[in-house]
Amino acid sequence: RRSPGRRRRREAEAVPAGHGGSMRCQVTVLYFARSAELAGLRSESVSVPQRLTSLQLWEEIVKIHPRLAVIRDQVIFAVQQEYVLLGDQLLVLQTGDEVAIIPPISGG
Amino acid sequence: MDESEDVPKDFIKLKSEKLSVDEVSELVISPNCGAVSLFIGTTRNNFEGKKVIHLEYEAYTSMAEMEIKKICRDIRQKWPSVKHIAMHHRLGVVPITEASVIIAVSSPHRTESLEAVMYCINTLKAFVPIWKKEIYEDEYSWKENKECFWANSEK
Repeated sequence: RRSPGRRRRREAEAVPAGHGGSMRCQVTVLYFARSAELAGLRSESVSVPQRLTSLQLWEEIVKIHPRLAVIRDQVIFAVQQEYVLLGDQLLVLQTGDEVAIIPPISGG
Repeated sequence: MDESEDVPKDFIKLKSEKLSVDEVSELVISPNCGAVSLFIGTTRNNFEGKKVIHLEYEAYTSMAEMEIKKICRDIRQKWPSVKHIAMHHRLGVVPITEASVIIAVSSPHRTESLEAVMYCINTLKAFVPIWKKEIYEDEYSWKENKECFWANSEK
């Protein structure tokens, strides 16, 4: 497991997101609660571009599981266990990274 | 108890077995603390006129434990006199009236542990990746905490 201090989110560079040299990686996508029901599974390995916005990452996943589209406005991601809103935030992913779909929480 | 071993500790557990108030409160007892404050979240038997049969909880366990550790760290920064913190949350099926979460905090005087317990449950509801499903007679519903930190912020 990587050391906690290692910086993973670097400053955005000049390469447009989603086109970064066509480099892709295999991430583990985890589904919880309603998203697991809509996707029909709890985890899978997915090939995605290494550099993309969080919104583009969502769109990659919805291509595989179109039924997830109905919860787009409610969910956020957790990438390597850090919350990320769906939007313009640039992600730099690596093979083996964990991406979780987080529907609105209801603990306690 | 050897007082040199009584360093502040966080006791965090997510488990499917029934929670115990005695067990959780005993974890935080400390010889130099005059106060133990407790919160117990129990399951109601009704929601909007529908009868709730039971609740089911699931969690992104590794991240939930990390988020709870962050809450404990926040508590120690805001209330440095807090001694021990225990947070037990049940997963899986929770029958009506049984506890789904128990939080206990000890401190030398009561104000800090009372405030820390409230902060703990409020922050858990906003940040910790745990989900609750209410099972009714004919249907079920995934609940959403109004405290959820991104609720209404993304459209």
